[in-house]
Amino acid sequence: MEGAILEGLRDPAGLPFYPQVFLALSVLTFALHIFAVQLMLGASGLTIWGAMSTNPHMRRLGLSMLNVAKISVSVAIVLGVAPLLFVQVIYDPFWYTANVLSARYVIGFIVVLIAAYLAMYFYYFRNYHADPAAPRKSAWSMIASILLMLAVGSIMHVLSREMLFPEEWKAWYAPGGQIDPSGANFRAFSPFRFGFFIAMAVPVAGAWLVAFRSYFATRGDVGGDYLDFVGGLGRRMAAVGTALALALGAGWMLSLPEKAAGFAGSPFVWIAALGLLAAGLFASVDRARDNTWALMAPVVFVVASLLTATGREALRFAILKGQHGYDIATYKVNLDVYSTALFFGTFAIVGGLVLSFLLGVLWNAGRTQGVYTPGPVLSRLGTAAIWSIGLWVIQFFAFGFTVWAQ
Amino acid sequence: MDFLGLFPTWYEAGLGSGWVVGIIATVHVLFSHTAVGAALFFGYLATVAYRNDRPELLDYIRRYGLFLLVFSYVLGSITGPGIWYSTTVASPRGISALIHNFVWGWSAEWVFFVIEVVGVYSMVYLVGKVDGRTYMKISWIFGGASLTTMLIIVGILSFMMWPGTEGYMQEGGYLYGYYGANQFAQLAMRVAFMFTMNAVVGGIVVSGMKTDALKREMARKLAVLGLVSAAAGFALLNWYMATLPPYAATMVQTRLPERFGPSMLITLGLTAGYFLLTLIRPRVLVPGLAGSMTVVLLVFGLWPEETARESLRKPYVAGQYVYSNQVIARDVPGMGISSELPMLEAHGLLATHAFLPDELRQVTPGNAAQVGEAIALSMCANCHSLSDTGMRPIRDYYGDVTDVAAIRDYSKAAMATGATMYMPAIPLKDIEWEALAVFLASLEDETVPAQYAAEKRAEGRKLAQKEGD
Repeated sequence: MEGAILEGLRDPAGLPFYPQVFLALSVLTFALHIFAVQLMLGASGLTIWGAMSTNPHMRRLGLSMLNVAKISVSVAIVLGVAPLLFVQVIYDPFWYTANVLSARYVIGFIVVLIAAYLAMYFYYFRNYHADPAAPRKSAWSMIASILLMLAVGSIMHVLSREMLFPEEWKAWYAPGGQIDPSGANFRAFSPFRFGFFIAMAVPVAGAWLVAFRSYFATRGDVGGDYLDFVGGLGRRMAAVGTALALALGAGWMLSLPEKAAGFAGSPFVWIAALGLLAAGLFASVDRARDNTWALMAPVVFVVASLLTATGREALRFAILKGQHGYDIATYKVNLDVYSTALFFGTFAIVGGLVLSFLLGVLWNAGRTQGVYTPGPVLSRLGTAAIWSIGLWVIQFFAFGFTVWAQ
Repeated sequence: MDFLGLFPTWYEAGLGSGWVVGIIATVHVLFSHTAVGAALFFGYLATVAYRNDRPELLDYIRRYGLFLLVFSYVLGSITGPGIWYSTTVASPRGISALIHNFVWGWSAEWVFFVIEVVGVYSMVYLVGKVDGRTYMKISWIFGGASLTTMLIIVGILSFMMWPGTEGYMQEGGYLYGYYGANQFAQLAMRVAFMFTMNAVVGGIVVSGMKTDALKREMARKLAVLGLVSAAAGFALLNWYMATLPPYAATMVQTRLPERFGPSMLITLGLTAGYFLLTLIRPRVLVPGLAGSMTVVLLVFGLWPEETARESLRKPYVAGQYVYSNQVIARDVPGMGISSELPMLEAHGLLATHAFLPDELRQVTPGNAAQVGEAIALSMCANCHSLSDTGMRPIRDYYGDVTDVAAIRDYSKAAMATGATMYMPAIPLKDIEWEALAVFLASLEDETVPAQYAAEKRAEGRKLAQKEGD
């Protein structure tokens, strides 16, 4: 399809702000989302490993990772909302077409994700009161959960890839000139690309374990032997997983479609690869149990994820602009000051205050034996967080009633 | 040649795409409204627990919170994006209009979603691990963030019916599109009903409690909350109906199924009876009763309400400018939006739909039914099932008529100019109406396309013979 037709599929309402900003937000939020997905997959894998293992440390770790997996699913879903929103804003012609062509899988995504999450909860309710060192019940449900999660991931992967092939869309919609509206297309699966993002679960979960060891080192009730076991496992996972991901990433670049083959030599690729290598090395360093640098291991992988997300976006941009003439910079802008300020104010002020408070309390409570009482600074931050939400509600009604009164 | 901005069509033959969206949306309303009501209820309980030194109330919060993790934060948080996904495939330009008008509102809601998720885990896992005052603060943050998600989404839902104020059409913009009488009325009504849903679903958790005194207290608190909020909700429903556009009032009288009114009254009666019973005799609150009441609310309350809202906005799906068949139907000067109807009228659908295969761009005697099906998929299938099952099967509107000319003339008269109130204007070319008629007739009699092709070929031969003579 030509660029003019593709641009004709854009929403006529345009954008309330400059497209480059939506692109940047899309990259940032995708990086956070995929990190949570990878942590969930890695933690799920460790949960299953713990269920199968006879090693008491591994069994105990498996139960801890079940909580990490469970919460990571929630976090991945909620963080995934943002890139899902932003991709529709600037790439609507591509996203909507890919979705309609694969509608059956899009609807299936919802059902399968619910089944995957419920299977995880089933395992949780069967085991959460159990002795950490005892054998687990119903491990099959956790295995089913991770398999279903992978199926869900493959659907998102395919939708993202189908976007990149406008030249194939008409043939997929109407093979042989006969319209097939069933939405049964599952095209453009790339094993190396999918494998890369899935394999990243290993080093990401490894980095999490490295931080886990350091985080709980201050708690007297968590054994040192156990923490050292966890830290050692984490370092190995970070090293091996990084190597595996780099190998699959190389395979992805070498198997790019012909129209994008030149991208493999792009600086975006090399910067992402070096960032990942650096993150893997950082997490693999053997440190003292209470070394606080270890706490930074997951953060370093978030940065690596951001570099990967940037490379992924650059590849999409290169294909859609370079090969199909679709330039997001030409998207019509109907500048909207109020709603732009509303979002950035909510993001920076409300989000900043509230999440700083909640995460601060969670962080400290987790490291405290017994009841945790925040100090005056954190306590005041909590009060400010409540006020920020209150003021947000006030502005909502103030603007609303003013407009309504007009 | 320019093209309309139409996407391919997804058509689910068994249910119809509209029902798929409706089912997901209805269950999501139950999960999400319950979550918001519960979050505010938690704030109240945590405050009572802190001020009156009643830690046992925190145990109820923990139990209900754990239940909510599955009920609202698994099922609800997946069906939320699920609505996006299902509307994306069923009505891409409808969801696109909402997203492009309100992307920053949705983004702000996303910030509150993140806070909600961190908040609910904090509520469940920090019971007894932080001091009472801090826990109370967390509970109000959780409740406040949940409420704001409701505040934000209702304005976007209202835009599906019509823009907040008239100013939107001329000046465009978030404020005029978002705020207005319909939005505030719907917000007030939904806030009331979310407490009702919380009271019903919270009963499931209460019914599993073993401590008699606390069980009685919580059952009564929920019953009072449920009674007051249900009464307020039904009163606010009248306000909401009064804020609907004038044509919607006619639609209420003519297009809503007869069961709508009785269904609402039955739900009101059962809800009131349920809460009165659990207020007077809390002991009767058992999981089966609370679970059944939840199902009643879903099937007899939410499903008719959501389907009615969907019906009332016809023929539009968003902002009174996007038709349900995805065509942009009017100018919105403030946003630089132009109607696509003139282009459709001038060139027809076959020449302007970018995704149609080249084989179907010209109507021939042999492909008329196929072309007609392609037109029906694009122009009709969003609201009408093309099979015998699903939403408003299209063949039901033509009785057992198989006369192509009669169907063509009737359809064109009813729809070409938008003369039928709840139907979009569909200014097709004459040959396109005819192709559509062949397809519609074929739903009743499979032999029609072959007969039509034979007749047309015979006519062609006669014409050629005449010209030869």
